Amino acid sequence: MRPAGTGASPSRLIGSVPELWQAVTGSVAGGSRFAGLMATQRPGGVLLSAQLATPAASAAPAGIVTCEAAVPPGDGSYPALTPLLGAAFWYEREIHDLFGVIPAGHPRLEPLILPLGSERAAGQGGSRAPRPRPGRSGPEPAGIWPDEHALPRHVMGAGLFTIPHGPVRSGVLESIEYLVETPGEDIPHLNMRVFYKHRGVEKRFEGRPVADGVLLAERTEGVASVAHALAWCHALERIADAAVPWPAALVRVLHAELERLASHLDTAARLADGAGLAVATARFSLHKERVMRLVGRMCGSRFGRGVVIPGGVSALPEVSGRELQAEIGRLEQTIGSDARELMGTSSFLDRLRRTGPLRPERAREHGALGPVGKGSGFSDDARLARPYDAYPALGLGEPGHQEGGDALARLRVRWDEVHQSFHLIRQAADELGEASAGALRADCPAGDGRAVGWAEAPQGEVLYDVRAEDGHVTRCGIRSASYHNLVLFHEVFAGDILTDFPFIEASFGLSVAGVAR
Amino acid sequence: MSPWVPRGLREGVVTTRWPRRPDPYAEGWRGPATVLDPHPAGGADLAALCPASAISAAADGSVRLDQGRCVLSGRCVAERPEVFGWSRGPGHAALARDGLMVPRIPETEQALAAARAALRARTAGLRRSVHLRHVDAGSDGAEEQEILALLNPVYDIHRLGIFFTASPRHADVLLVTGAGAHGMAEPLRRTFAGMPSPKVVIAVGTDACGGGLLAGSYATSDGVGGVIPVDVWLPGSPPPPFSILHALLLAVGRLAVGRDQ
Amino acid sequence: MTGFGAVLASALSLLAAAGALDLALGARRARWRSAPYLVGAAASVCLVVAGAGPLAGHPARLPVAGWLGAGTAGLVADRLSGLFLVISFGAAVPVSLAFASWAARPSSVGRRGLGASYALTLGAVAVIITAADAFTFLLAWELLTIGFYLLAGFDRGRPGRPGGALVTLVFGRVSGAALLVGLLLLAVRAGSLDLASFGQVPAGLARATAQVLLIAGFTVKVGLVPFQIWLPRGYAAAPGVARAVMAGVAVNVGFYGLWRTLALLGAPPAWLTGLLLVLAGLTALLGIAHAAVQPGLQRVIAYSSVENSGLIVAGYGVALTGAAVHDARLTAAGLLAATLQIIAHTAAKSLLFTAGAVIAPRGSVSVESPGDDDLDALRGTARRLPWSGTGLAVGSLTLAGLPLTAGFAAEWFLLEALMQQFRIPGLGFRLVLALAGAAVALTVGFAGVTFVRLTGLVVLGPPAPAGPAPAVPVPAGSGPTGPAPAGPVPAGSGPAVPVPAGSGPTGSGRRGGADRDYGWLGRVAIAALSLGCLVPAAALPLVIRVIAAGLAPVVPRVVTSGALKSPWVVQPVFGDFSILSPSWLWVVMPLLGLAVLLFTWLASGRRLTRVRRVPAWRSATAGVEGADSYTATGFANPARRVLATVLHTRSEVRTLGPPPEATAPAPLAETMEPPGPRLGYTSDVVEVTEAYLYRPVLRPVMAAVRAAKRLQSGRLDAYLAYMLIALVALLALVSAMA
Repeated sequence: MRPAGTGASPSRLIGSVPELWQAVTGSVAGGSRFAGLMATQRPGGVLLSAQLATPAASAAPAGIVTCEAAVPPGDGSYPALTPLLGAAFWYEREIHDLFGVIPAGHPRLEPLILPLGSERAAGQGGSRAPRPRPGRSGPEPAGIWPDEHALPRHVMGAGLFTIPHGPVRSGVLESIEYLVETPGEDIPHLNMRVFYKHRGVEKRFEGRPVADGVLLAERTEGVASVAHALAWCHALERIADAAVPWPAALVRVLHAELERLASHLDTAARLADGAGLAVATARFSLHKERVMRLVGRMCGSRFGRGVVIPGGVSALPEVSGRELQAEIGRLEQTIGSDARELMGTSSFLDRLRRTGPLRPERAREHGALGPVGKGSGFSDDARLARPYDAYPALGLGEPGHQEGGDALARLRVRWDEVHQSFHLIRQAADELGEASAGALRADCPAGDGRAVGWAEAPQGEVLYDVRAEDGHVTRCGIRSASYHNLVLFHEVFAGDILTDFPFIEASFGLSVAGVAR
Repeated sequence: MSPWVPRGLREGVVTTRWPRRPDPYAEGWRGPATVLDPHPAGGADLAALCPASAISAAADGSVRLDQGRCVLSGRCVAERPEVFGWSRGPGHAALARDGLMVPRIPETEQALAAARAALRARTAGLRRSVHLRHVDAGSDGAEEQEILALLNPVYDIHRLGIFFTASPRHADVLLVTGAGAHGMAEPLRRTFAGMPSPKVVIAVGTDACGGGLLAGSYATSDGVGGVIPVDVWLPGSPPPPFSILHALLLAVGRLAVGRDQ
Repeated sequence: MTGFGAVLASALSLLAAAGALDLALGARRARWRSAPYLVGAAASVCLVVAGAGPLAGHPARLPVAGWLGAGTAGLVADRLSGLFLVISFGAAVPVSLAFASWAARPSSVGRRGLGASYALTLGAVAVIITAADAFTFLLAWELLTIGFYLLAGFDRGRPGRPGGALVTLVFGRVSGAALLVGLLLLAVRAGSLDLASFGQVPAGLARATAQVLLIAGFTVKVGLVPFQIWLPRGYAAAPGVARAVMAGVAVNVGFYGLWRTLALLGAPPAWLTGLLLVLAGLTALLGIAHAAVQPGLQRVIAYSSVENSGLIVAGYGVALTGAAVHDARLTAAGLLAATLQIIAHTAAKSLLFTAGAVIAPRGSVSVESPGDDDLDALRGTARRLPWSGTGLAVGSLTLAGLPLTAGFAAEWFLLEALMQQFRIPGLGFRLVLALAGAAVALTVGFAGVTFVRLTGLVVLGPPAPAGPAPAVPVPAGSGPTGPAPAGPVPAGSGPAVPVPAGSGPTGSGRRGGADRDYGWLGRVAIAALSLGCLVPAAALPLVIRVIAAGLAPVVPRVVTSGALKSPWVVQPVFGDFSILSPSWLWVVMPLLGLAVLLFTWLASGRRLTRVRRVPAWRSATAGVEGADSYTATGFANPARRVLATVLHTRSEVRTLGPPPEATAPAPLAETMEPPGPRLGYTSDVVEVTEAYLYRPVLRPVMAAVRAAKRLQSGRLDAYLAYMLIALVALLALVSAMA
């Protein structure tokens, strides 16, 4: 029997916002990673919560520490964190969109996920649009429609013109708009409009019984369903102080790693498609289909939905251990062989080499997550640093190290992770074969409390900051890896031309649903 | 010769023969929940079972399940297996929103038959060569993966004369996924207006049919039915590729029977 | 004096009257302003008649013996002169009408003198073409240089004008000097100033040197590398329709001189022919490379003149090769191609500059002195100025060489003539002809790109919204900075400048150009010039007959007429090689178009006209303001990159300072802190001849000039000493030669 997560998620309330920023920057200077900034509407005002990923110390294991401070009631603004810590850039814009509080000193406060008229304009006689304010109890606000006129529309400099690409792009892609500023061939700068897919997911959590929350968590970012469900369940298990039984932990690892496999195979297929390698694209999509059919046979959903529930899992896999091992062995062999062939195709590698470079110091400064960060030498894998479920026992093996920062490095990182995943799946299947007797879920009473749960999605670390009261959720703050990483997309176009765009986008491998939520 | 070609040849043929021949994966896959016993005991409490509010009671006390809101959570099947079960096979698409309410009543069946005939007549020119345009109106990303899976060698929609196109000017069928996020309402309308007639709209996924778990959110329109006129409704969370294929063939009138009984 | 001579005389006196009229009346009333040009148009008609006569076989003679004390001085128009009179003044008639219409506009002409310069130029052109002796020729040439200087320097307020006028004058003087030495050399050897007698000069160093000098002088006039740098500046500096006079009508004297040199002196040394071909190919390529990337309308058209000069001289080079290997058919092929290109160029260039006079009156003279002809600001002007826009489109299509135009026929002939290189025995000629052929083919391709950009943006583009016109911040290429990669902008603090519509810094938010199109006179002129671009293609066999008659002094008429295979089919003089029938194209292509339309109408079941309009598909975006589709600079970017060796392109992206003052507060501006850095993209091209040939030479020349200035000490005793030294030297020389 292993605990739900060996990490801790303490939270501290700090007196004022400037002191909060001092604590945050001091912590970051001391080696922590800035993991997110969320806000909650309280009766007295807005409460800002900053999440920091702390390294293991003598006193406490590695975990996520939350520091909070309240914006003084009646104040419409607070001093911004972005001038002190650049990684907070998008977080403060989102808080402004959802709550209307203005971070004073923010270098570019435009709407990010919900463009409405500005608060200051509202104060000077403009119309005041209601803001959703997650965390506020009461009936859900009526439909809020984004205002296209609240966006900055004149976005280019001299000698450049803007190609608006999106939101309905060519291909079956998620809706996001890229405003590519270009003099005609290369891309000196890129702007993004991500508000199109905003669905108000965080607000939908409020008022639901905690047992239903896992369903909504799975549908926040569909390509990382299992990871989101795991993060949600970890938060609840931390609130209830429940320990997940060993077989359940193994099943969770199985599904998380299969999801990672599917995601990385999808990225490889997209990159091969961009390079025009038709057979390679077909083979990698075939492998992905086989993985998804395997997942479907195991639990009845091709995306692994419905398996992870608070306290454990809903059922054992419907595929026997021997069959699973055989299928995994076949997959590993064919995928490994095709990956080696792909990484030896020079026409393919030429498209990826030095394309979309992310400088290592930038990745470290921002705290880039997942393969994006690992490709630039910055690695903070939640399975390694703050392990959960069966990972502490199974062990991840030697992580590969890439420094290139370009699309090729990120692809190499993904192949390393695929190798790791196969290893973990085989181990988990073995152990499951021996330990299949026993309860599958611990008792996780729908309680009262607040905790942060995390899990490593294929894109990187996902955080869930959950507050529950009387068995109902009062606030759920979601920080997906896609949200944290997408802002780096602005900076990776150094000398690349328009035709490199799909490679850079595919090498990031992010999901817009997780960004716009 | 490129080293990829022998690899592909060694794999052999992996493409399914569906719809010409039945496919065991397609037939065995489970779809949204369905009602096995319309008049069970304790019928009034059953509505609380569903987290997506798909279960309701009809005027005569019988149980009705709206598949357009079913997110396949499995709660109803787990709690009351004698009343609720999974539907099997790929055919859960319906040509009217009411067609997703099970069990069907005769008036709905008539309306569906009329709708099918009208759709067949309207898409007479599209039968053998269909071009698709997809719009993501606030999905969670999973439906896009299932739609893209149609291009992999297993499903290979190109063999059926169905192609994806980038410009709505060249498109015949509009696939819409997502719960109808308000930010995408105007772009969705622009895309729909940019398609020449005859055109068919398929709402793919439970989110698109009725909003799913996001129904009632301040930022969605509870599905895309209120934004543009929808011709084919396909529930599922997400619907597997075979279901999407079935809905496509239904939309262009290439399936004789609309729905597995 | 023959009958046609009288016509010639009356034409010249009409031109003198036009000049006097302009100087007398001044520029206060619109009617007074246009009067000189109307008289000039009448004079041009007379000159066309005076040219048509000789073509038909009745030479015009106008002796002016005794007037200037030069013996048998006079004006004679033989067939060759007649041909060039018809070509040049056939275009001068509509150009004069357009000039009259343009001059009548309120803000076009500020003071007297433009009409006089115009009359002087046209008069000089007429005299050059009909001069029978070297003195008259040189006198008229110098008068033409003065006329060009006056035209280029007329607009006192235009930035860059002094430089443009000066460089025109300098190069005019250089060509005049070369011609002077060459003609005098021949006159000394021939013993008389009569041009016809120069043919008898025996072959030798003097004749070869004279040929070189004459050809050099004429190529300076037409703008062959390395003398082409004055063309863009000079043409762009001239006001309004004067550009059409300079570039369309007057430039033909250079070609006339080249043709006449070939007629009188025959084949030059082989090395000169090879050099000419190589330079012609280079000129064409350089001209079109620059035209493809210029941001200003007038400079695009001016560089296209350079390109066409290259093409015409390439044809001339083929003719010289034919003369060198004594193959009359090759000479005929080359001259026919070159003359057709002259006709197409005259019509199209006049049309382009005429249309450009209204679309962008104050064109930019050089990159450092901006004008109002930025292509981005001129988007969609054809909707406001339909006649000028159509003129611009027809001229562009002709110079791009599209099938229904005269330009297509001319370029076809040119390429066919260059392809005959396999018939020549020597390897050297074959190689050089092949090189020139490759360069010409490449030029034709880039000409397509250049004129598509022009037509697509200016004529067909969506109209730019009207709004206040702030100063266009043309980025001055301040020193070579090297191709710097785009500095990575900090995350998100990009150029989000919420500036209201209508004051875009690239000028795309403002509208350039005039607001009124030509009056009815100008419209007649544009229609006539457009016909001149199109009719020679439809009636090509007739045109070839006329040219054959005109080229008789150079190559026998029957040889040139070998290009007429059958009534409506032409071939490049050599039989069994290739054929073309532009007239047939004129019938077939419109018919095919009609057939397609008919089929569409029938197949659509009468639903052809039921149209549902939706906005253009742009990925369903909410849109941005400002330039959101390809700008002129962006469209030229691939050309700039591909031709980077020829153009020495340097681009850089750098962050600019804060934006210019916006007139109205933007919706979000008051809520935001100062916006982040704006990015600016600049791309400069370098005129290689100027940078590598003239600038290095300029420094020692200026040093020498400064040293020579010391002679002008201003002291009386020094000047007396100079006079004494000169007298002693002269006495010594005379006594030594006695």
